Amino acid sequence: MSLTLNIRGLATRLFARPRLPTPTTTTTARFTTLTPVMMARFDSSANTFGGKAGLAAKQKRTAKKGSKGEQRDPKMINMLKHFAILSPRRIPPPLRMARNRHLRHWTIHRAWLLFRRREREGRERTLMRQYQGMYAACEALRLSDGPGTRETGYLYRVAMEKKGVYGHHGVPIEYARPQTETPARTPWNHDWKL
Amino acid sequence: MSRCQQVARPLVRSLRPCPSAAAAASQSSHTTLAVRYLSSTAARRDLDKTTTTQPGSDALDAALLGQSAAAAPQDTPQTRQQLAALGSADLGSRRRRAALATTGDIPFEQLPYQCFQEARKILNQDREEKIAKIVAETEKIKRLEAADASTMRGGEAYKQKRLVSLREHVEELKILADINDPEVKRRFENGTGDMSKPIYRYLANRRWRSMDHKIVVQRIEQFNIVPDLLPRFEPTMDVKMSFRGYTVSPGAVLDSRLTEVAPTLRMQVFDKGERLLTIVVLDSDVPDEATDGYARRCHFLAANVPWDPSKNLLSLRQVGGGGGELAVPWLPAFAQKGAPYHRLSLFVLEQKAGETLDGAKLKALYGGRDGFSLKSFRDKFGLTPVGFNLFRSEWDEGTAAVMEKHGIPGADVEFKRARVVSMKTPRAAKGWEAKRQGPKYKSLWKYTKRIKGARFERN
Repeated sequence: MSLTLNIRGLATRLFARPRLPTPTTTTTARFTTLTPVMMARFDSSANTFGGKAGLAAKQKRTAKKGSKGEQRDPKMINMLKHFAILSPRRIPPPLRMARNRHLRHWTIHRAWLLFRRREREGRERTLMRQYQGMYAACEALRLSDGPGTRETGYLYRVAMEKKGVYGHHGVPIEYARPQTETPARTPWNHDWKL
Repeated sequence: MSRCQQVARPLVRSLRPCPSAAAAASQSSHTTLAVRYLSSTAARRDLDKTTTTQPGSDALDAALLGQSAAAAPQDTPQTRQQLAALGSADLGSRRRRAALATTGDIPFEQLPYQCFQEARKILNQDREEKIAKIVAETEKIKRLEAADASTMRGGEAYKQKRLVSLREHVEELKILADINDPEVKRRFENGTGDMSKPIYRYLANRRWRSMDHKIVVQRIEQFNIVPDLLPRFEPTMDVKMSFRGYTVSPGAVLDSRLTEVAPTLRMQVFDKGERLLTIVVLDSDVPDEATDGYARRCHFLAANVPWDPSKNLLSLRQVGGGGGELAVPWLPAFAQKGAPYHRLSLFVLEQKAGETLDGAKLKALYGGRDGFSLKSFRDKFGLTPVGFNLFRSEWDEGTAAVMEKHGIPGADVEFKRARVVSMKTPRAAKGWEAKRQGPKYKSLWKYTKRIKGARFERN
C-alpha cells in the first residue's frame, strides 16, 4: 500500500508541469485550473486582436509554439511514457472514509472474504467427494469377480484400458481444449475444417 | 463581452469570496466550520492554533528527551467542541442533513445500508455456526474428561494430549466467533476492549507483534542482550517504559536526570490468568579496572507482583505498597566519564504458578547489587523471562549531581584508554628537512630546524 502511495507521489511529481495559460480552451473543465488573473490576461489578448478569426488563430498557433519551445529530453519522454500507468489518472486515490463508514466497509469486506472462502471450500468438498466416489467404485470393481469364469478384477482391467471407447485410437473429446470450470463462450466451432 | 468571459463568469464569481457568506461566517461559527468541513487540512491547521503550549516544567523534560512538548496532542475544551461540531447534524451536504434529520438515532448495526445488512447476515450466520461448534467441542471435552483413560489405546498420555488440543481448538473458535464483529473492532480501537476476553487479547497481541515486538527483538539482537545476559530469549509480553511520563523507545540514550527516578511500566500480557512477576533492571556495562573488563550491577529488583491481562500500569516507585515485594530499590542509572554507554535492561520474569519468592532471601542475595547474573537468578528461582525493555546511559552534565545526590562515589573518576606503545624499533628520520639538518645547510635552518611536532636527532 505504502509502496503504491510512494509511486503515486513520484508519478504525481513527474507529471506535474507548470501550466501555461494556453488560449485553446475548448472544454469548460480546463477552466477550473485557471485563476481569475489568468482569465483577465486572456481577455486582454482577445481584445487587442479583435474578433478577427484569422488573427486569433495565428495568435493561437504562435502561443502554442512558444509553450512548446522548451524541449524535453527524449529520455524523459520515454520515462514518462512508461510511468504513464502510474499516473494519478490511472491509479485511484486511496479510500478515505470516516469511522462509521470505514467500519461498514470493513464489515462488508470481511463478509465477502468469508463468502468466498465458503464457496471455495464447498467446491473443494464436492470435488473431493466425487473423486472419492469414483475411487470407491473402481476399488469395488477391482475386487469383484468377472462375468462367468473370468478372474477377479477382469472388469476393472478392461475398463481401465478403455480400448475403443473413444473410437478407434481415439482420445476423449474433452481433451480437445483445456479443462475449465465453465463452458467456453462458443461451445463448438461448427465451421471448422481441416 | 467575449465568449471566453461569458463562460468564465460564473466560475470567477464562485472563486471570489462571497460578501454575504463572509458576513454569515462572522456571525455564526457553524458556517465557517461548514466551509472547513470540505478540506480536512484547513480544519487541522485550525485545531493546531487552538492548542496552547505551556513552557515550564515540561520544557526541561522535553529537552532532555529531545522531543518537543507541543508535539503531544492536547485535549482542550475548544478542540473537543470543534470535534463535536464536525459530527453534528448541522453540517454536511443537504442530503446528509436530510438523512440525519429524518432518521434519528439508529444504532450502528441497524443502519439501513443494504449491502451492510446483507454482510451482517452472513457474518451472524457464521458466528452462530462457530458458537454451535464451541458448544459441541465443550461437550466433547466434558465427555473426554469423564471417560476412563484405561479404556483408550494411548492411555492417560493420549487423553491429556487430546484434551489440550481440544481446549486450544475451543480458544481458536472463540476468537473466530468474534473477529468479524465491527463493534469489537471499534471497542478495541477505542482502547476500551475487555482484556479478560480472548478476542481483545488476540487483537492486542497482533498489534504488538506488528511493530513493537519486532523493535524489541531487534534491540535484543543489536545490543547483544543474547548472549551477554541470557543464552536465549524470546519476549512474549509487551513492556513499555516511561520516565516522568515520557514513553521512551527501547534502546534510547537517556539523560541521567531523567532516569534518576524509577520508571513507570505499561505491561500487557496476552495469555489469560493470574500470575506473579519479577522485575529486574540491571546494568551490564559496569567498568571494572581490576579485570580490565565489564561487570554487571543490579539496579532494581522486585518480586511477587501480581499481574493479569486486565492490568496495564505499574509504577516501580510504588511496587512495595500494593502487591509485590521490593527487594532492591531503584538506583539511578549513571555512567562514569569516559566509559562507553551502559546498557540498562529491564527484564520481566514470570514466576512458577503458585510460588512466591522470599523477599528477605532476595535482599540478602542481591542487596549488594554488584555481580548480578540474570541467568543464575533465573535458574536459582525457576523463573521464565517474558518481557524486555532497554535504555542506555552515558556521562552527561547532570550525572555528577545525580551521583552526589544519591551518595554514589566515583563521580570524579574519568576513564581513559591505556596508551599502546609501539613495539617497532625507532627509525632514522627521513625527508628533505632531515637531510638538511647539518651545518652545511646553515642557510636553510630557518626552514628545517623549528618545525612543530618534528624532531630530527643526529646519530
